[in-house]
Amino acid sequence: MDIIFKNIVPIPLASIKHHTESIWGKEFILKKGSKVLLNASSGKGKSTFSSILFGIRNDYNGELLFDELNCKELTNNEWSDLRRNKLSIVFQDLQLFPSLTVEENLLIKNDLNKLFSAEEIKEMIFRLGIGDKWNQKCSLLSMGQQQRVAIVRSLLQPFEWLFLDEPFSHLDKENTSICLKLINERCNQLNAGFILTSLGSNHEFEYDQEIKL
Amino acid sequence: MLNKLLFQNQNQKQFWIALLGAFLGMFFLVLSIHYTIMINEFGKGTDVLGPNTLMVQKKVTNSSTLNLTKTDFSEKEIQKMRNEPFIEDIQSVQSNNFDISFETSDPLVPYFRTDVFVQTVPANFLDVQTDKWHWEKGDEFVPMIMPREFLVMLNTFMSASGIPQISEDLAKEVKFGFKIWNPTKTEKVNVKIIGFTNEVSSILIPKSFMDYGNTNFGKSSEKKITQILILGKEGQFGLVEELMLKKGLEPKNAQLIVGRLKSVVGTLFLLIFSISLIAVMASFLVVIQYIQLLLTKNSYEIKTLLRLGYPMEQIIKIVSVYFVKIVATVCAVSYVLFLLLKLLIDDVFHDGGLYIGTDLSLSSLLGLLLAFGIFSFISNQSVKKEVRNLFD
Repeated sequence: MDIIFKNIVPIPLASIKHHTESIWGKEFILKKGSKVLLNASSGKGKSTFSSILFGIRNDYNGELLFDELNCKELTNNEWSDLRRNKLSIVFQDLQLFPSLTVEENLLIKNDLNKLFSAEEIKEMIFRLGIGDKWNQKCSLLSMGQQQRVAIVRSLLQPFEWLFLDEPFSHLDKENTSICLKLINERCNQLNAGFILTSLGSNHEFEYDQEIKL
Repeated sequence: MLNKLLFQNQNQKQFWIALLGAFLGMFFLVLSIHYTIMINEFGKGTDVLGPNTLMVQKKVTNSSTLNLTKTDFSEKEIQKMRNEPFIEDIQSVQSNNFDISFETSDPLVPYFRTDVFVQTVPANFLDVQTDKWHWEKGDEFVPMIMPREFLVMLNTFMSASGIPQISEDLAKEVKFGFKIWNPTKTEKVNVKIIGFTNEVSSILIPKSFMDYGNTNFGKSSEKKITQILILGKEGQFGLVEELMLKKGLEPKNAQLIVGRLKSVVGTLFLLIFSISLIAVMASFLVVIQYIQLLLTKNSYEIKTLLRLGYPMEQIIKIVSVYFVKIVATVCAVSYVLFLLLKLLIDDVFHDGGLYIGTDLSLSSLLGLLLAFGIFSFISNQSVKKEVRNLFD
């Protein structure tokens, strides 16, 4: 599924003068399977970009298309279906359930498609270095640990695009690298693409495309 | 896990208050529906006149004795009363305009004869099977309804004469006869008692026999209407009574007591029904407000689930089913408690001499199911609306 941007400008950012390289107000296509880095400083609309793509916000001018589907014409049920099968996300604020354990947070997502066994999920968690937190409530985890739980959660479904909104902001270089490797593997497995938003760093990864705001 | 997530922010105190309100509303609703129906049915089938029916005449006063006021009813007077909103129907009671006597004609019973006064009332005012209440020339017997006080008088005579008395059941088997005559001819017909009444003081016969007697043996003078039958609307006995007082009418005392009793108890339960209906509606509002509050408290969890890809319908179903199950339990508990309390209340009524039916009324159960259905629908709509609002 290609993502087609047609002159999109978020309404709250319409009065701001954007850089000539900014994607706001331009026409371009993100091809299926591309690994994309979105680099921008604070306040340029990185989270707005992710939210628009994920259907959380629709306060923008222009058109956003998933192949032929116009996002503004999608029903709630169609968005649910997309979020279950074609689009996945790591929110900047993570949106975990603090009262549930790591296991419960991950199983609640996995229950939608039942792609993995609890053991397989646990293996991913171990790989990211937080295996010992499996039975702990998420409210008790550090931000870095929570980010890793949110990353694993985003991989527990089939998807064509994964939106990562500053997912490594609380991780060191080594853990970022481990996370990126797992993400890349899963994307390759599904022949899916991802869009990683960042505050300037490329996290030492080779992307197919880099866009700016 | 979804249940754990969606119902984690419950305020136990608010929850139990909402449930208590719903329970009390449901309980009093079913109780009041049941007893309102039972009270309304009270009296049906116990006498020949239907429930809410009064046979009345004008009070005889000194002035009427001196012919200064009338004791008969004009058509205009009847029509005026018929137009009252609390009156279902009014019909005149037809009396005999011919000479008639009642006598025994059974070899097993000593001979007894007396002149009598017979009347007829429209069939729709009588609580008897219509196929029994029918006569035409050539029939084996004329059906009649006898006042119980007449049987008491008959038995007093028999007792005084040293003859065994007869019961109501036996009286229905004994052969009696009517003799009707005028100066030129006499005719005898067999009679069969088909019922007894406390509400009417005269012997009741079918209209066809009355017409036959009046036509073939009648006297020339026109008969005046001195008694009428009033069929009042359910639960409006007080207004009927007020009209009778205003018009100077008097019924038989027994009818008056039963009517007043039914009216008082019926009104009381109608009042409880109205209050419980308001209580049910108020408790529904409390429960629905509680659902809304719960959804608001869990809005983060619901939003996140929707963002993770959970279909709206699944979340709506989980929340709706949870509350429908709770209210179904409340309904069941209310009904069981009603059944237990009913045993006690029926006993209280019985001891107090109010022999109302002890069967379960289907309407009370249907009322409860209807209230449950309405709640399920409203709560589902409310949950749908709240969850839709949370969808990004």
